[in-house]
Amino acid sequence: MNDLFIIIKKELTELLRDKKTIINSIVLPTVLIPILIFGAMKVTEMIEKQQQEKTVKIGLVNAPAEFSALIATDTLNKVTTYEKVEDFKALIADETIQSAIVFPADWNSQMEQLSTGEVQIFRNGSKENVNKRVTKLIETYNTRLKEERIAILNIPTQKMTPFTENYVEVGEQKEVIGKRIGGFIPYLFILTMWGGCLLAAVDLVTGEKERKTIETTLSLPISKFKVLLGKAIVASLLGFIPALLNLIGLIVGLKLFDGIPDSFKSVISEMLNFQSITLILLLLIPFALFLSGFIIALVAGATSFKEAQSKASPIIMLIIIPLVMAMMPGIELNWTTVLIPVLNIGLGVKEIMAGTIDMVQYSVILISLIAFAIGAVYFSYKKFSDENAILK
Amino acid sequence: MIHIENLTKSFVATTKKGFKKESTTVHAVNAISFDCKPGRIFSLLGPNGAGKTTTLRMIAGIINPSSGTAIVDGVDISKGNDEVKKRIGFLTGSTGLYERLNPDETIEFFGKLYKIPEAQLSERKEYLFEKLGINDFRKKRIGQMSTGMKQKVSIARTLIHDPEVLIFDEPTSGLDVITAESIIDLIRESKENNKTVIFSSHIMSEVDLLCDDLAIINKGAIIYNDTFENFKGEMKAANLTQEFINRVKQA
Repeated sequence: MNDLFIIIKKELTELLRDKKTIINSIVLPTVLIPILIFGAMKVTEMIEKQQQEKTVKIGLVNAPAEFSALIATDTLNKVTTYEKVEDFKALIADETIQSAIVFPADWNSQMEQLSTGEVQIFRNGSKENVNKRVTKLIETYNTRLKEERIAILNIPTQKMTPFTENYVEVGEQKEVIGKRIGGFIPYLFILTMWGGCLLAAVDLVTGEKERKTIETTLSLPISKFKVLLGKAIVASLLGFIPALLNLIGLIVGLKLFDGIPDSFKSVISEMLNFQSITLILLLLIPFALFLSGFIIALVAGATSFKEAQSKASPIIMLIIIPLVMAMMPGIELNWTTVLIPVLNIGLGVKEIMAGTIDMVQYSVILISLIAFAIGAVYFSYKKFSDENAILK
Repeated sequence: MIHIENLTKSFVATTKKGFKKESTTVHAVNAISFDCKPGRIFSLLGPNGAGKTTTLRMIAGIINPSSGTAIVDGVDISKGNDEVKKRIGFLTGSTGLYERLNPDETIEFFGKLYKIPEAQLSERKEYLFEKLGINDFRKKRIGQMSTGMKQKVSIARTLIHDPEVLIFDEPTSGLDVITAESIIDLIRESKENNKTVIFSSHIMSEVDLLCDDLAIINKGAIIYNDTFENFKGEMKAANLTQEFINRVKQA
């Protein structure tokens, strides 16, 4: 056991003296989520502000005075009045105007007769901001006219309202939000973990070959299994730590920045309590060891960083696909999915965050991940013991 | 003492021909036998690819032989590699040092794995650092050192556990004459301390200076094995290098 600690200490010392490892495994995972939260908030705020301040160029034909007055209430609207229907498609394409609203010539008489008039709106579907603002103007005007007619016809308001809708949420807010965003959380952790494990495993195995130290290590009076286990543990630590820092970054980021709705903040804080964090981290420990063992086995025969990365990189698809599946509606944690690595973590974290995890299923996920980790370490040991591969 | 008998190492080489794979067995080392005695320096010479490194790796317990026996300081390598490794100091061109550690940390790491008691480890480390002139750069990272500095640290880590058997493969390669001299001195000192030393080099002047017994290996087989004195007595060429070349060509 002491030999294993000596190996772990030496490998960790070596890795943590490498700037690349420090940046990728410590600095980036810590600041990534706060930067993402802050960046997303600022960008959304900026875009919204920009959109609100943008002038909308509207072309009008036969517009009634009330509608023209309504448009004029927003000083950002720039109106061009046309006598007749023009080639609005061309005018919108060359950006003379961005939308055109055409009222019938007999609009006022139609309204006086309380009949239904048809308003033509020329628009480009891809201009979301313009369309949203024009639709809002039309809807406001429509509502106003409806209210006027109700008043003229002397109809009580309740007669025009057959029913009102009242949705009663029976799921806890934590469950609703947990299931919605719970799928994204493991996506973030596991990809960071993959990056950390990959970098460390490649450095500890292929890096040793490149630096010509693998033979030195193999000449040590300890078994190859202990050497391999030491490397796998260190690689998994270097995968687990970034995932943990990711989580800390998420909690700190949510607490630090203003602009996130308080209700959302409180639900997230409730989801990321001590119990759920412990349950998530417990799953990540064997998973990190599984990833490390798997990557070491893959790169054992590689002779350069480039070759190692090209051998290990395609495996990321085996991680992304189950994670994407875990986010899909309809895919639930059941007795089949609990045994599929990555997918079981994705679904498990979702349930943990929603507070609906079945502890028996959780235990099965944990046991299956431990079994996969043992299998991966054994597989990597076999590859690491292959003289042709390791001394290549 | 090292006793080698019929030691063989075979590799299976696979070549792809279209969709077909062809496997052929290559004997990197083929039934070699020799003895290395304590208090004597045994030179194992051979051209590149002759099987020298494979032989030394098998003796050091880094790779397992396909067949045959190697007994190192009374321990059969087939009975346990780790026991053999404890008794050997192994230094070759491919046993590099951990670049992100300094000499102090490197020697501590090896010393602890060799289970040397702390006080003894400290004393032995100071002795070797003084003897090899490592004190001036003992806290410097190995990655920032010159070739000579690195080789000195390599020698220190090879000798830290005071092994009974020492294997030096090209120990002075790429070193200046002063550093090379200090290493030659250490090899001599090991011989005086009754250690079993295997020394391999392409520098014939060093072989001439140190060698007591000699074996020449070519294409995985031993083509000469006797004392260096007898080898010199049988020499037909004008110098050692030429004699070595002639013997390899004739084999």
